[in-house]
Amino acid sequence: MTSLALKPVATRSLALLSKAVGYEFRKRIQFRTGFFVREVLNGVVQPLVMLFVYAALYRSASSTGELGDAALRNWTFDEILKYIGGLLIVMKLTFDNRGLELSTEIFEGRITKYLTMPVRYFVLLQARFVQFTLMQVVVASLVWCVGYGLVGDRWLVPVSWSAAGQAVTLILLGSYCAFLLYVTINALAFWLDVVWSLLVMASFVITFTGGAVMPVSQMPGWAATSFGYLFPYWAISAPIEILMGRLGTEAFLRGLVIVGLQLVALDLLRRFVWRRGLARYVGAGM
Amino acid sequence: MADTTTDKGPVARLGWGLRVLRGYARIGWVRKSQFRWEFVNQVIMDVMFYVSFVLTFKMLYGLGEGSESGALSLAGWSYGDMKVYLGMAFVADALMMTFLGQQWHFGGDLKNGALDPFRVRPGPTAFLYFFQRFSPEGLTNLIIASGWLVYALSGVVGSQVSLLHLAWTLPLSVVVLAWCQVFMMMAYNLVELWLTHSDLGHLTWNLFSSMGERPLDVYPSGIQRFLTFVVPVAGLAWYPAALVLGKLDPVVGIAFPLVLLAFAWIVARVFRAGLRRYDSAMG
Repeated sequence: MTSLALKPVATRSLALLSKAVGYEFRKRIQFRTGFFVREVLNGVVQPLVMLFVYAALYRSASSTGELGDAALRNWTFDEILKYIGGLLIVMKLTFDNRGLELSTEIFEGRITKYLTMPVRYFVLLQARFVQFTLMQVVVASLVWCVGYGLVGDRWLVPVSWSAAGQAVTLILLGSYCAFLLYVTINALAFWLDVVWSLLVMASFVITFTGGAVMPVSQMPGWAATSFGYLFPYWAISAPIEILMGRLGTEAFLRGLVIVGLQLVALDLLRRFVWRRGLARYVGAGM
Repeated sequence: MADTTTDKGPVARLGWGLRVLRGYARIGWVRKSQFRWEFVNQVIMDVMFYVSFVLTFKMLYGLGEGSESGALSLAGWSYGDMKVYLGMAFVADALMMTFLGQQWHFGGDLKNGALDPFRVRPGPTAFLYFFQRFSPEGLTNLIIASGWLVYALSGVVGSQVSLLHLAWTLPLSVVVLAWCQVFMMMAYNLVELWLTHSDLGHLTWNLFSSMGERPLDVYPSGIQRFLTFVVPVAGLAWYPAALVLGKLDPVVGIAFPLVLLAFAWIVARVFRAGLRRYDSAMG
């Protein structure tokens, strides 16, 4: 009885998901210049600026002024170059809050129409995640090819297929964690008047603790140790180090456990916040 | 509608502008009194922005500990210099957050045709539009950013520069960075007037502000010249910090303010041309 009751719901959700993913694609492509800027160029600036800063630092650390001479906390400049190449790819695949309009729909009371339908509203949000991931996998692949074409072996090339598989697994799971975190913060709009500042703060924390400004293993010990317990590190910095061969399977398994546990915890939190929020939602917006 | 404020003398126009700013500030305080939780959040958010920057550079300079060369410098900028540089960048950012927050909505407002109420008012459209969202939390962060700048300057006064030097360079630096912030912000948004809802305004802001948040000396000379004389993002932190620290080449020191004036004139002209093609419902 239970399985019979569940099956149509799961089938309906899957059909809705595929349809909604199609609509999400259409929405993104509607303004072509905006699509190119948001989906293709997004996340490119920060790593490029980081490259110049690191070049200046390594030049200062080198006794001869040559970039290749110095190693700073076990990182050579060539490795930093590969790391920055990896960031260009990984940051594209890490979910950001763009296009998630949950808080606005709550503020304006527009969410009511979805709640009366025989579908789970969360599936529509998941469609945005799926569309984002599919789109960014294509864009990231193109960026990788362009980077490899430009700098050849100095570009980040995975040490093995197994390392590539491990890195992609961690990146996608970590990206889903970021998605769940953003959905939860958006759902706080049931209580708060404005949530964008909380979303920006979450983005700060993810990029900083994830190693988007410098490799976490190059940070001081206290930072490297404490950030190692958080999903952003396993979604950004660790996968790049796995691709470079600086981290192995043991680290991957540890990361899988940490990210898996945090994914479950974040999903439980999302469900809790959503249910409590709906209980006080009056259907008329703020 | 004719811009009646331009018929008056410069003193009268300045008085009018200040009265408008005071009116916007009053509205900003009233609005924020309804969003108290958001006030706290935004102050914390900007403090996190400052802390993340300070921590990042502290960590980067900390990489020199234990290395062969000892203390690192970032293209000639020591950690003490960098603190002053960050102070200027924070003040420029806080000024933008306090007075120019409406810029984030420019693309959307253009698309929705929401510029009409500003175009029919008797005053410069850009001034009335971009300065409309005074932010009390931005002002709070301006105080915090200024505190950091004073702290950073206390580390160089006496040892690196004299108090007398600071007395004339600091006010000049603040004027330059405020002027630069206003016209850079307008420049970022220009493109939206032709490519509506493209997010190019945000992208150019992200691109140039990210580059300007690091000393320009880290970039190759071509990029340095571009960021100084073509898109003068140097005015947001590099020029003010170098001026205060006495690191500025005299030729650049004199030429850059002239570049900023020319840049402002061009931006204002192009903005006006862009507004002429605005037809109330560009989306």
